[in-house]
Amino acid sequence: MDDTLLKAPDPVSCSDLSERMSAHKVNAWFYEKQALHGISMKIYDKKVSAIIGPSGCGKSTFIRCLNRMHETVPGATMKGSIFLDGKDILSKKDVASLRRVVGMVFQKPTPFPTMTVYDNVAAGIKLFGRISEQKLDRVVEQSLRRAALWEEVKDLLDKPGMGLSGGQQQRLCIARALAIEPEVILLDEPCSALDPISTAKIEELIHELKRNYTIVIVTHNMQQAARVADYTGFFLLGEMIEFDVTSKIFTNPRDKRTEDYITGRFG
Amino acid sequence: MTRNIKEKIYLLIVFAFTLIAVIPLISVISYVFLQGISAINWDFFTRLPVPFGDPGGGMGNAIVGTFIVVGLACVVGLPIGIFGGIWLALYGNNKKGFVIRYAADVLSSIPTIVIGIFAYVLIVLVMKRFSALAGGFALGIIMIPTVTRTTEEMVKMVPRTLFEAGLALGLPEWKVIMRIIFRTAWSGIFTGIMLSVARITGETAPLLFTAFNSMYWNFAVDQPTATMTVQIYNYAISPFAQWHAKAWAGSLTLMFIVLGVTLLVRKFSRRVHYG
Repeated sequence: MDDTLLKAPDPVSCSDLSERMSAHKVNAWFYEKQALHGISMKIYDKKVSAIIGPSGCGKSTFIRCLNRMHETVPGATMKGSIFLDGKDILSKKDVASLRRVVGMVFQKPTPFPTMTVYDNVAAGIKLFGRISEQKLDRVVEQSLRRAALWEEVKDLLDKPGMGLSGGQQQRLCIARALAIEPEVILLDEPCSALDPISTAKIEELIHELKRNYTIVIVTHNMQQAARVADYTGFFLLGEMIEFDVTSKIFTNPRDKRTEDYITGRFG
Repeated sequence: MTRNIKEKIYLLIVFAFTLIAVIPLISVISYVFLQGISAINWDFFTRLPVPFGDPGGGMGNAIVGTFIVVGLACVVGLPIGIFGGIWLALYGNNKKGFVIRYAADVLSSIPTIVIGIFAYVLIVLVMKRFSALAGGFALGIIMIPTVTRTTEEMVKMVPRTLFEAGLALGLPEWKVIMRIIFRTAWSGIFTGIMLSVARITGETAPLLFTAFNSMYWNFAVDQPTATMTVQIYNYAISPFAQWHAKAWAGSLTLMFIVLGVTLLVRKFSRRVHYG
């Protein structure tokens, strides 16, 4: 199965398609329990790739491997190789600089509780090195604009980030991730704690962002994958069953199990 | 009996016992207040003690001395306590952590006078004199377990997601710990620190043979230093009524300092909401 997946799926329009990241036979464990079995997948530049599958299928574990967050959990290990621009990220010693290129937004909004809206967005820059105030102001505004939050919070910059609504908090976290100017953004079920209106805003935002960023999104909402993703991978029990252009996955899946999941027969 | 009456009786019992629990506190505070207030005046806070028979005098040097000794205790106890607590919370989920945690618990149950003897042997005998340093050292050791365990608990309460969110920004781990985790836990840690400061401020036994006492102003940390508790103790065991009054006044002052610290804690210990 791995080998067929390594051949790029038929792109809809192949002219602007280039590979940004790729995973080769990635295995991951929590202590003795294997969570991922030989995942191989390509992530195309400035496209949205979605990963769907039932709970516990390893989809979160997989994207947490892409910026090496997985290994921060006690007892978590992984094997295989993951390439970013042709370089294996697993052999890299400097994990921090990898994470500045591959940013991440988590399932639950995680604004830093002691910080204001402004400081939350600035955190990744301010805590990293010196930067002039004017420049920081510019970056914060730009990031909040990109995260479609500026208009709502421009008068609340010195208020605690925790005071915002759930949907705003999540966009604040997206702004915070954007502020360090990553190139790939990993979204780990970013809407699962949000109401439909906030969800719609984030999805709209994803459409905007893919012009400049490569996006990988984990979701257990199939409609969401269908709405936002160019490519979709289906995970089941730690294996990638199928990876293809989103429309193909949803209309004409190759694997019986994908079809069963899509049509709601299980999961 | 109807349920309603049962409920009322139950409430009455609870209320009665609450009242009983508060009685000792109120009576101690009011008794100390009534006994002490008459000897409190400006001189009491600013003047040195005078020999028996002379009028006036105060315990200004002991008040300053208490602050010096407690300050030294913080210098000794806080870094060890805070960093130890952070370590236990984040990396102490193993055998080493278990041993350290256990050691802290044992340390907190050692009588403070024993810790005083330890400081006596280690510092007073070596330096060949009593000093504020020895007193501060003893009190600092008494602080360590409380500060360690509260820091640990408070850091553990910070959700792991914040730690991950910091790491995901490409920040080095120590920066995430110090600038995000520690700051989030800070108000709780501060509460723990203040409570342990309040506790050591009232310690007498470990100071008797470390900081000892002094009848003079002293700001040098390597010299014997008067502290309020030891001064109160000396006055209280004396046979003179005039000194007894001073002991009461000292107790009242000490009580208000500790009360002040506790109120400060209240003000700072607003809980941070983690969402």
